[in-house]
Amino acid sequence: MNEAIRFIVDVASLGSLYALMALGLVLVYGILRLVNFAYGELIMIAGYTLYLLSGSPLPWLVMAACAVVAALAASVLTERVAFRPVREKSLTAMLITSFAVSTLFQNAALLFISPRARLVPLPDLFSESIVIGGMLFFVRELLAIVVSISMLVLFTALLNRTVLGIALRAAADNFRMTRMLGVPANLVIGVAFAISGFLAGIVALFWLGRTASVMPGIGLEPLIVAFVATVLGGMQSLVGAVVGGYVLALMTVGINTFLPQALVDYRQAFTFSLVILILLFRPEGLVRGK
Amino acid sequence: MMRENIFDWTNGRTFIAGAAAAILLAAGLGGAGTANAASHEIFIGGALSLTGIQAPLDEPGLRGARLAVQAINARGGVLGRNLKFINLDGKSDPVTVGNNAAQLIAEGAELIIAPCDFDFGGPASREAQKAGLVGISTCASSPLYGSVALGDMQFTLAMWNTQMGGAAAEYAFNERGWKTAYVVTDTFIDYTTSLSEFFIKHFENIGGKVIFEDKYTQGAGDFSAQLARMQRKLAEEPADVFFISSYMPDLGMIIRTIRLAGIDLPVVGGDSYDDTGLFDALGEKFGDDIYFATHGYMAPGSAPGMEEFLALHEQVYPDEPLTSFVATGWDVVQIMAQAVEIAGTTDGAAVAKVMEDNVFNFLTGSMDWSSAETGHEPDKSVALIELQDGKTTFLGWTRPTDVPKPDYLIKYLERQESD
Repeated sequence: MNEAIRFIVDVASLGSLYALMALGLVLVYGILRLVNFAYGELIMIAGYTLYLLSGSPLPWLVMAACAVVAALAASVLTERVAFRPVREKSLTAMLITSFAVSTLFQNAALLFISPRARLVPLPDLFSESIVIGGMLFFVRELLAIVVSISMLVLFTALLNRTVLGIALRAAADNFRMTRMLGVPANLVIGVAFAISGFLAGIVALFWLGRTASVMPGIGLEPLIVAFVATVLGGMQSLVGAVVGGYVLALMTVGINTFLPQALVDYRQAFTFSLVILILLFRPEGLVRGK
Repeated sequence: MMRENIFDWTNGRTFIAGAAAAILLAAGLGGAGTANAASHEIFIGGALSLTGIQAPLDEPGLRGARLAVQAINARGGVLGRNLKFINLDGKSDPVTVGNNAAQLIAEGAELIIAPCDFDFGGPASREAQKAGLVGISTCASSPLYGSVALGDMQFTLAMWNTQMGGAAAEYAFNERGWKTAYVVTDTFIDYTTSLSEFFIKHFENIGGKVIFEDKYTQGAGDFSAQLARMQRKLAEEPADVFFISSYMPDLGMIIRTIRLAGIDLPVVGGDSYDDTGLFDALGEKFGDDIYFATHGYMAPGSAPGMEEFLALHEQVYPDEPLTSFVATGWDVVQIMAQAVEIAGTTDGAAVAKVMEDNVFNFLTGSMDWSSAETGHEPDKSVALIELQDGKTTFLGWTRPTDVPKPDYLIKYLERQESD
């Protein structure tokens, strides 16, 4: 029983982060058909913002807010400076641009900060564990679940209850038609990038909170996770991204836990084989778009 | 904190400082006849990576190498010639590293500094070997880095993982009396895999018992299953110590997770722990009871020449040297300079011979390479460092005895003998 609860909490905390990462990626993809390969670097930027603020007397929550704002600003800025000028050209141009942006950010961190790991300050809560019903839980994991689920609820409300949300959903469904109906493209795209950056910032707090450090290449894993989760969940659907995130976490933790010790070296092969298998039967992902 | 048997760098084999001084004099006298050769600089080429995944390991070494060039030139260079050092970014791509080395050699490089890894450094060493030049990797600890795989003029400044793992095993078993170990191995790269392999071999050879070896992969981001397994296994059979072979950033995550779960066994590891990034990430709360084997200790008094190095580092760089990987770069250039001085030439074969025949003693302790026929196996002193309350203490130098040889070398030596 205890092990089952442990397993569920592990999956839920990892899955919540995966879901947020995937959502941030698929939001932009839905509108522009662009897989933003610079997405992981937004997480890196949030991390370095925390590092640069680590000597300051600010309370942690303020630092965290700054980090999220930095990721959001970087996301909006890359859209304005890098993606918008090539948007009308071709999808390939945008894709290459996203690689360029990613490399630029990484190298800037290498040059101006350091190639080696740097401290990300954490609140004391992140270094604590609590015992509930005789079981030990990490406060960080529980917080990740609570914050992620609140984000998902907030985000759903935004999409369903506000004009902006309706515009976003319409743009994701049929961008050209949405523009013809008078919705300003730049606004919708700008908002999508802003939300994507915001989610990356939130993810960064918990993702980097595991190691308490940030490095220039730190964005690669979240990017891959987000990409696989969206492909798995269905790239045409926002719900799919969330489902994909949780399913990927379930597979990761499940394989890690139940694979016999002799095969444990190959667990990533198992995870990705499973992903391929699912895609064979459901090429559009688990959740089909309209 | 001084322990017996650890401070042994002063009683190694004959030291060559005196010999070097004598030869320096001789070179000064004999130099008159070769005024032509003395008029240009000795060109050292570097193919270290400043970008990509290899950058965290190569950037500190590059710093150290540059400082050493500066220091050596300030005291008059080598054989009356100043050193010139140019590094081309290898971009963490083995092909680029090889091309860079070839380009530097074409432009006249006489010695090559190779990246701190067998896969990334090997291509540079192979180019050096092809051109008949000495190549030294700053800190590749793969037991493959030597004369058998790369050629008779190729060396690595680091101890091999055989010795690093061996030193960690001896410290745990002999010094501390920890008899049973629980091992966690990051299987993402060869370094972490082979370090665990040789720790386990030596730990068992000297009488220890490894109760379990679990696997993790850098970048997986999730240690929960390993933790659950660890708690289960440790409940069945307690262990005295952890050996965790991984590197930043996930090394920080693994140790934090274990400590957060309330498991406070001591942790032993290798040179990837030598990183202030790790100490910061663990902080005072989790940075306790951790011991690791590495290249040196960046504080006055730990090794000859450390004061000079630290003073120069302070002049040139705004921050402190954060890791002994800086010292490996410094030592590569110092050893190159000393070997060229003794050989009286930069000719690869002559310099390699000097490197095989002498014991060198700089910031990373004393270094004695075996002959090319026996693999250029480094016999090097290993620095032991302790982390308590997030602060490091230098425990001293050690030299593990009878560490296991890598399989390929055993076979190679057997073949040599039977021929």
